[in-house]
Amino acid sequence: MSLRAVSWVPVLLVLACHAAPAGGPVTVIFPSSTLGAEGEVLRRQVARFMKERPDIRVEQRSTPDAADQRHQLYVQWLNAHAGEPDILQLDAIWTPEFAAAEWILPLDRFRPPVDSFFPATIAANSWRGHLYALPWFVDVGMLYWRTDLMDSPPATFDELERDAERARAEKRVRYGLVLQGARYEGLVAVFSEYLGAHGGRILEGGKVTVASPAGVAALTAMRREIYEQGIIPPVALTWHEEEARFAFQNGEAAFMRNWPYPYALMNDSSASRVAGKYAVAPMPGAEGGHPTAALGGAQLAINANSPHPDAAWALVEYLTRPEQMLERARVVGQFPTRRALYDDPRLRDALQVPAAEARAVIERAVPRPVTPVYTQLSELLQVQLHRALTRQVEPAAALRVAAGAMQKLLDRAGLGAGAPVAAR
Amino acid sequence: MRGRPLPRGDPGYGVERREARLAWWLVSPALAAIVLVALFPLVWTVWESLHLHDLRMPWLGQPFIGLGNYLEAVGDERFRAAMGHTLFFAVVSVTLELALGTMLALAMNRAFRGRGLMRASVLVPWAMPTVVSGLLWKFMFDGDAGIANAALVKVGVLDQPLVWFIRTGFAWVPVILADVWKTTPFVALLLLAGLQNIDASLYEAARIDGASAWRQFRFVTLPLLRPAILVALIFRTLDAFRVFDLIYVMTGGGPGTSTEPIALYTFNSLLQYLRFGYGSALSVIVFVVTFALALVYIRYLGAGLTETKA
Repeated sequence: MSLRAVSWVPVLLVLACHAAPAGGPVTVIFPSSTLGAEGEVLRRQVARFMKERPDIRVEQRSTPDAADQRHQLYVQWLNAHAGEPDILQLDAIWTPEFAAAEWILPLDRFRPPVDSFFPATIAANSWRGHLYALPWFVDVGMLYWRTDLMDSPPATFDELERDAERARAEKRVRYGLVLQGARYEGLVAVFSEYLGAHGGRILEGGKVTVASPAGVAALTAMRREIYEQGIIPPVALTWHEEEARFAFQNGEAAFMRNWPYPYALMNDSSASRVAGKYAVAPMPGAEGGHPTAALGGAQLAINANSPHPDAAWALVEYLTRPEQMLERARVVGQFPTRRALYDDPRLRDALQVPAAEARAVIERAVPRPVTPVYTQLSELLQVQLHRALTRQVEPAAALRVAAGAMQKLLDRAGLGAGAPVAAR
Repeated sequence: MRGRPLPRGDPGYGVERREARLAWWLVSPALAAIVLVALFPLVWTVWESLHLHDLRMPWLGQPFIGLGNYLEAVGDERFRAAMGHTLFFAVVSVTLELALGTMLALAMNRAFRGRGLMRASVLVPWAMPTVVSGLLWKFMFDGDAGIANAALVKVGVLDQPLVWFIRTGFAWVPVILADVWKTTPFVALLLLAGLQNIDASLYEAARIDGASAWRQFRFVTLPLLRPAILVALIFRTLDAFRVFDLIYVMTGGGPGTSTEPIALYTFNSLLQYLRFGYGSALSVIVFVVTFALALVYIRYLGAGLTETKA
């Protein structure tokens, strides 16, 4: 599909070489977060890279940290076929979109070591059989549980509900489970975990299957936990990651569903009432499915119009080396995407989360639907999930409406079941 | 200005024509600017709205699809709901603002000590950026820690804190309160200017004729205030119809999409889903509706306002 884009690369390379003064370093432009500890770590790594490769100069640009804004910016650049930036930091759910638009290069010709990465992270970054971005660090949905309230984490939602009800009955916590329930991408991530636990999937091939009995069971369970069992506080339907963290950190909840980032933050006893009193486990399972973690994180891709794809790849390759991943894990607590590192004693020292616990969750990780129109599908789903959870409609009806709209969108995009190969 | 053009034989005829031509040349930069900044984007939007243009699906190209986007809008339940929400918001908030604004203006029109200070302080909510006041009201109505819940529970209106933003009807309460709080001063100020134009001798005459305060208000103040009311109504209705920032920060259109106004849906279509064709069609519809509203106001309320006084 991207033959055309690839065939242009040598031409562009030649042009670039002619344009650049002979012998001068090639400049690679890499927009990224330049804030806080994460920005510092990256600046250090880039500086080391430039020492190793004096023929390449890396220019860092700061971009918005908010995912939506960054996405908007990328789309504007890439849609205009701009040659810069050369490297893009993508959310897991954007890769197929950019790949189908032929905005980023397939990486196969650089022979990336795909077998060293978690298979789910590779699957999330592949489109029509080609790898388009290299997983940089991985985010997974995890269950935080209070080690002072129970001996072991619940393996099923039934157990979770029982533990939560007991903790609430003993008046030790106000809430059972806190999570991200506002109408945004986070809600779909949470729902996908409930859905996987019940054995359902949002999409199979080009067919929307979210309104299956498993889907209805998952959504009904969430609603029951809010209104009948009182485990999830209704106010969580306005919450994002941070509100959930504050509630858990203040000792108000027995369980929290969240990404890895709060782990290190909540161990600071000056700000947290639960320092040293929590651990993480995979989200629970339920009948018909198995424990599931939504997969997130950051990937690195190369602009299809970049004049220096080889130089760009050199930086991508450098940043995804085991040593750099270990440094990121140590400084900002991000989970490496290379599987072997989880057996490495250095990771055990670097990461606050016990490496085995982290690995157990990542092995459960499932990419959200890998499709170029994911964000639109998710938006349609978010609205209906939120309508059902705020009791405006019944779960089954909500999912039926969502599935209808999502299928229509897929068909319009030429990606529906049985559609001829749409993206060239 | 002369009432009629000069006859051809008049010696001043040629001069006048030359002057007219010069005048056209002189205003042409201004006209060009209007065409460039007002007309061109409008025509461009209409043109876009007739195409399928989906930035997220570049492989579909940009084919001309005629009225396809408009037909989709008509069949789009979320669009129709958004129109309903917008209408509801506009009617309720503008009515409240007009009623409260009139009262405030009448109060401010009285002579009393510290009137200048009072007038200035009334404007504070209006001077605040909408996003800031939106966040302020959002925090006040927060489910857990909001002051509104605490007060209502204390007074006994509520048994327990209410999560305002996840209930369809209740989510409107903070939104409309915030809008009324913010824009009533603006309405009051416009009306105050109108009040000050009313000749005091009219009230004197009314009093001599024995008119009660209510009759003075009804038959002297209101008719003479009509131009000011019209201006306030046009401004406020059109603003309310395009409401965006307040709802964007307070509810994001939720729960579900039950407080989503048309401007927010258009924004989402254009800049979140990057559906330029469909979003443009929605923009054109909003433009037509607001334009029609302005025409209606001027036609029915503004008789006398737009005509030059003899």
